[in-house]
Amino acid sequence: MDHARIVFGLVALAAALALPYYAGPFWTGLATQMLIFGLLALSVDLLLGHAGLFSLTHASFFAVSAYTVAILQVRYGVSTALAAPAGICAGTLLALVFGLAVRTRGVYFILITIAFGFVVWGVAHRWSSFTGGDNGVTNVPFPALGGLAVTSHTQYYYLVLAAVVACGLGYRVLIRSPFGLGLRGIKASESRMRSLGFRTGLHLYAAFVLSGALASFAGVLYVYYNKFVNPVAASFPISVEAALMAIIGGTGTIIGPFIGSGIVLGLRNWVSSFFELHLAVMGAVFIAAVLWAPDGLVGLAGRLRARMERAKEAGRP
Amino acid sequence: MSAAALEVSALAKVFGGLAAVNGVELTVPAGERRVLIGPNGAGKTTLFHCITGTLAPSSGTIALFGRDVTRLPEHRRTALGMGRTFQITNVFPELTMAENLALAILGTDRRKWVMHRSLAAFAAVRRQALEGLERVGLAGRADEPVKRVSYGERRQLELALALNTSPKVLFLDEPCAGLSPAERQRISRMIAGLPRDITLLMIEHDMDVALGLADRVTVLHQGRVILEGTPDEVRANSEVRDVYFGHA
Amino acid sequence: MTSAVLQAINGVSLAALLFLLASGFTLSFGLMRVVNMAHGAYYLFGGYIGLTLAEKTGSFAVAIVGGGAAVVVIGFLIDRFLIRRTGENHLAQVLLTVGVAFVIGDVALALWGGDNLKVQAPAFLRGAVVLPGEIYYPMYRFVLIFFGVFVGALLWLLYHRTQLGAVVRAGVDDREQVNATGINVDRLFVMVSGLASFLAGMAGVVGGAFLTLYPGAEWEILVYALVVVIVGGLGSLEGAMIGALIVGLLDAYGRWLLPEFSYFVLFGPIALLMLFRPRGLFGREH
Repeated sequence: MDHARIVFGLVALAAALALPYYAGPFWTGLATQMLIFGLLALSVDLLLGHAGLFSLTHASFFAVSAYTVAILQVRYGVSTALAAPAGICAGTLLALVFGLAVRTRGVYFILITIAFGFVVWGVAHRWSSFTGGDNGVTNVPFPALGGLAVTSHTQYYYLVLAAVVACGLGYRVLIRSPFGLGLRGIKASESRMRSLGFRTGLHLYAAFVLSGALASFAGVLYVYYNKFVNPVAASFPISVEAALMAIIGGTGTIIGPFIGSGIVLGLRNWVSSFFELHLAVMGAVFIAAVLWAPDGLVGLAGRLRARMERAKEAGRP
Repeated sequence: MSAAALEVSALAKVFGGLAAVNGVELTVPAGERRVLIGPNGAGKTTLFHCITGTLAPSSGTIALFGRDVTRLPEHRRTALGMGRTFQITNVFPELTMAENLALAILGTDRRKWVMHRSLAAFAAVRRQALEGLERVGLAGRADEPVKRVSYGERRQLELALALNTSPKVLFLDEPCAGLSPAERQRISRMIAGLPRDITLLMIEHDMDVALGLADRVTVLHQGRVILEGTPDEVRANSEVRDVYFGHA
Repeated sequence: MTSAVLQAINGVSLAALLFLLASGFTLSFGLMRVVNMAHGAYYLFGGYIGLTLAEKTGSFAVAIVGGGAAVVVIGFLIDRFLIRRTGENHLAQVLLTVGVAFVIGDVALALWGGDNLKVQAPAFLRGAVVLPGEIYYPMYRFVLIFFGVFVGALLWLLYHRTQLGAVVRAGVDDREQVNATGINVDRLFVMVSGLASFLAGMAGVVGGAFLTLYPGAEWEILVYALVVVIVGGLGSLEGAMIGALIVGLLDAYGRWLLPEFSYFVLFGPIALLMLFRPRGLFGREH
């Protein structure tokens, strides 16, 4: 890591730490959401940016873990210390099943994950005796661990920030590990990876489950922030938006999904304040992103920098 | 006598009613250098694909050092000692040269599953990768992304990948394809200099290269073996001249 | 026993509708390698146009043709100016067409509102038909089965018995082949995608008369169509027929026997299929 990036990271971290003091509750809330959905986008990007698999079912893990936490805490009075891990386990178990999708590639993988996503949404929506139907599960408390309890949105923001930084550091190790290199190898040429001795199906399956576990963790953070969960959390637009965030920000990076999440959520907030058709605006963003920024903003920045450097070199005598 | 390095019997591969490989019998003793020749469409690459597990054969059996591997998936065959190169360069363009080599080294190694430590912490892998690059004449290019190196260097990398899976039997599918005469010479010298304990199977179009390297030659035509012999026997055979040189 | 028979008929009539939608989806993938996630939105939009036309003219036939034709126009524009620019990048196609679907869905919401709306079926199709065994069944859904069979037969003839179909089939197998025949590929693509759009819009009108139209219907129906093509195999017309029947019947019995888990009943077969035939019943390498 070069110095500029360390400095940039520290400045960003300092700005994030100081945020509640200069920005007020609205922006702190938005920043919390940005971190949570950025984490979801990061989980999608483990498959998309590193392994080359485009999953559209990640809202499933996110929602199943959120529902598990909510139902355990609200209906059975289970403590956070048990409910939160149970949520991650439930989402990860689902990922163990849905991971079957790695038997397929390309279009089939995309279509099958979409179908899987709708199964979970359908159950959340129709099994109302257990999931609460369209109303979902409400009155989820802030998390509390023994004597330590979160009591305000500001405190929760710090908790989420800490969790996201920890995940980001862990993720960094993962993608630089031999396993992570293997994923990038599969993305570049699966046939060569097989001939080098890699069991690529299992490799991708493991990545799928890890990615599902990370999405589940984001689901836990989400339900404690949101205070309720309903079928919207499991819906297709959540999965697509998570992918869009990763793409807008820049796939294959760690910061990209968070930048993308900030842009998407910020834009939605801004647009919905004066324009009713905000879903249409999101649709337009999709279209624009595909047509004009397929490498995302991080990629766009890289291209611009390269162009400027070229211009500078050309300017030299 | 110990089992042959490779024993292929009655191997066939049918594509939509058309037999690309049609009852091939092939036995290669350990340590031999065997070159496969034959006109375009003779089924050489398909035969390679079936032997190394890229394609599933329609019928027949393949044994590696006496062990039946016909039903084993490709990665298991690699673990048992098959290594191969591809006719159409098949490397990882997005990764650096050293990362390419690291994948070859890790592929047959349990360390490929390590998730909690950065690759940079494995000094031995890095050292081995640098040695592997040096061995094929790519020293000093380790941290260059492959998409920025020349075609010739990619062909060298292609060979390096196969060599670093610690193969006992090496399958080279036209290693010199698309190279300039000077580059061809360099690659064939490299192949000639490989340790003799590696059994070698090579598809080659260039007859001079082929006959210069081979201990024995197998001629394939329309999915069948039509002749097997020493380079001199093959050179002298009139049937081979008809099907092979007649098409050239 | 009677209910079991009823559910079978329900399943087959849903299958007829799903086939209308899925056949277009699968053909445009087969020939043009285009994954168009806006197909569900085409269905909904065609349905709404048909609804308005049926109210204005009182004719169901006008509604069907008008709904289909409106989608042909929109589909052509989307194809030409958006989808074509993605080349053969499926990821980009999926994102782009999902975006298109969001836009269409939201605009439709603004124009037609959020209520469940029903396309008015013609008078002679209202009421019930009495089937052997004193089974009363809605006339409309019963006739829909025959309509589905009729369209299926037409498509099959078009696909297997005409020159156009032969070219399309050749294109599904190997696109180079079509280029080599000297046929105007561009025009062929426009025709096939127009046909797919028309089928989707028509399906919206037909489906809107018994499933009703509402915001979100586009995704529900799309997922059914996706399952149909996953089961049948992308690019296969026969696969779409068989897949539609399987999905229609599973859905009908699922809703009847396990109402809260009917999606699960659909999911089981996909999971099994994926283990043994990852490319569907009639799927090929792509």
